[in-house]
Amino acid sequence: MNSVQRFFRRYIFSTVGIVILFLTVNIALCFAILITGSMSGTDASFSVRDFSDHVVLRDEKWTADNTALSMLQEQSAWAMLLDEDGNVVWQQNLPENLPRSYTSAEVASFSRWYLEDYPVKIWTRADGRLMVVGYQPGTLVKYYFSLEWPYMGVMLGGIALVFSINLLLIVFLILRNTRKVEKAMTPILQGIQDLSRGSLHRLDEHGELGEISAGLNRAADYMRKKDDTRAEWIRGVSHDIRTPLSVVLGYASELEDDCGLPPDARKQAGIIRRESEKMKRLIDDLNLTTKLEYALRPVRFKEVDWAETSRQAVSEVLNSGLDRRYEIVFAEMQPGRSVHLLGDHELLQRMLDNLIRNSITHNPQGCRIAVSVGEKNGRCLCTVSDNGVEIAPEQLKALNRGDNIASTQDSDEKLEHGLGLKLVVQIVKAHHGTISFSGSTPHGLEVRISLPTQPLIS
Amino acid sequence: MTNHKILLVDDDPNVLEMLLSIFRRAGYTNLQTAASGAEALRIWQKEQPSLIVLDVMMPEMDGFSVLKEIRRTSRIPVLMLTARGEAEDRIEGLEIGADDYLAKPFLPKELLLRVGAILGRAYPNQNEVVQLAGATVDMANAEVLKNGEKQTLTAKEMQLFEKLYRNAGRIVTTGVLCETICGEFWQGYESTLSTHIRHLRKKIEENPSKPVSLVTVKGLGYRLNLKEVSP
Repeated sequence: MNSVQRFFRRYIFSTVGIVILFLTVNIALCFAILITGSMSGTDASFSVRDFSDHVVLRDEKWTADNTALSMLQEQSAWAMLLDEDGNVVWQQNLPENLPRSYTSAEVASFSRWYLEDYPVKIWTRADGRLMVVGYQPGTLVKYYFSLEWPYMGVMLGGIALVFSINLLLIVFLILRNTRKVEKAMTPILQGIQDLSRGSLHRLDEHGELGEISAGLNRAADYMRKKDDTRAEWIRGVSHDIRTPLSVVLGYASELEDDCGLPPDARKQAGIIRRESEKMKRLIDDLNLTTKLEYALRPVRFKEVDWAETSRQAVSEVLNSGLDRRYEIVFAEMQPGRSVHLLGDHELLQRMLDNLIRNSITHNPQGCRIAVSVGEKNGRCLCTVSDNGVEIAPEQLKALNRGDNIASTQDSDEKLEHGLGLKLVVQIVKAHHGTISFSGSTPHGLEVRISLPTQPLIS
Repeated sequence: MTNHKILLVDDDPNVLEMLLSIFRRAGYTNLQTAASGAEALRIWQKEQPSLIVLDVMMPEMDGFSVLKEIRRTSRIPVLMLTARGEAEDRIEGLEIGADDYLAKPFLPKELLLRVGAILGRAYPNQNEVVQLAGATVDMANAEVLKNGEKQTLTAKEMQLFEKLYRNAGRIVTTGVLCETICGEFWQGYESTLSTHIRHLRKKIEENPSKPVSLVTVKGLGYRLNLKEVSP
């Protein structure tokens, strides 16, 4: 799962979490309101049952005690007591316009609704009489609710169903919307990631986010153009230098071999020739490293004889006329055994050539360079070591860290530009191999390269 | 001194001048120059040179176009020179039919060596005799003259000797030599090569156990040393 998918997965979880939180909070709020309402209602007044207990028959006469009277007074309420026949046997503050006798139908009516706009509460006493307390109009709301059970069942089930459908619909819409956003955003986010790695496939510029895609495409075009310009510039410069350098190298070489010239002049011509050769190598390195960096040169994987490729690379260095100060020793770890790998013959040869020349360049006093090649556990190995100058531990660390190799060279102008080693690392990477730098015993540099015989070519 | 007629083609007059100097010093006396593709074609048709050293990048008509035109009717050896040094260029050049390819800047020795090798292959010298420390080899008849005694080289020995001679003074790797006698799939033929080398040494070396002409370069291959001619 990549980071884009992880982001959207987290987004879905958080949205569902928000919905669940929303529902929980709402249910909690509803309960809170109900509880608050029940606690703050006018029912803080009194209960008709309690009130009824304060009205008693004493000496054949119905009387209410002071508590009952104060209860009524507080609420500006009135009260009446009806006997079994519906006659008022006792009353307190009963409005004049209200009848003093009620039929059973009238009792049934006001017990559910209102008595002449007065909301009433009733209580059937133990002695069979009915206590009625009436409140001022507008102080109580009475609502009669009656439903048949089958209908009630359907309604409750319906409410549950509607709630569930709503919940599912919300989840579905969240998922659908997220999917839509994901579909639109994934190529863009992927594009940004690709762009950070220096490559971008053209994005579709249609749809709501087309403008963003177009912006990314423009950024990629700009980057590509810059890369092309840089590569073109290097190629152009190298081309323009090659021709005049041919003339310099050609004449210097001619003069160096001219027996008719004084020895000093021939020596100077030799220096020009050697420096020109260095420039030639610099141009070649610069060209190849640029091409590999900008993928302008494909790596041509073919079956390669590892030992023979190494032999040819070493022979080329020796054939180009190696100074007597240097000695190159070539050895096979498993002599006579044929080792093959899938690789680019030309690049591998160049890699070994650069490693040998790196030892030569950094040891102007001369040194012995040992090249050994072989195979172990399905990997082609190569070690190039010299007994030359000791390399500083910090520099070794920097090389092994893969720091910008060109910048690891010190500013001594006698030393090479560092492109040679950069190219070696690029070639090793192109073959999915590993490279390590260490000090050799007793002093000098040792470079170990390990390449898979069958690299996974993408 | 060689009488081969060489046509040098480059649009840069300095490069042409230098090429002339290199070839003259090497003993080539019959040299022609052309500063453009069209001029090169004209001279080629008129003079019929033995070999053309052809620059790739020229205005109007580039080296590839010139080579294509030449290859329609002729197999004349052509060595391409380029300032681009791209592998694609080399492949294209060789595909069109160039005999060899050299990237600028180059060392005069390398150019001469390659030109010599192409000429040797294309025009085997009927009287070419190779002087070695202990023997002389008649290339045309594949015969070795050692201590007044004539011996014939077998076909394989001759193939080997020719490869080494065309690269005289340079190391030729085991793989390249095996390929010369066995073709592309040479792996496993190293011992066969050793046998041929042993036989060859018997014929050309004064003391085959201490070779001085056909020397082994440990781990790499062999090198043929020609007899040094005192000036």
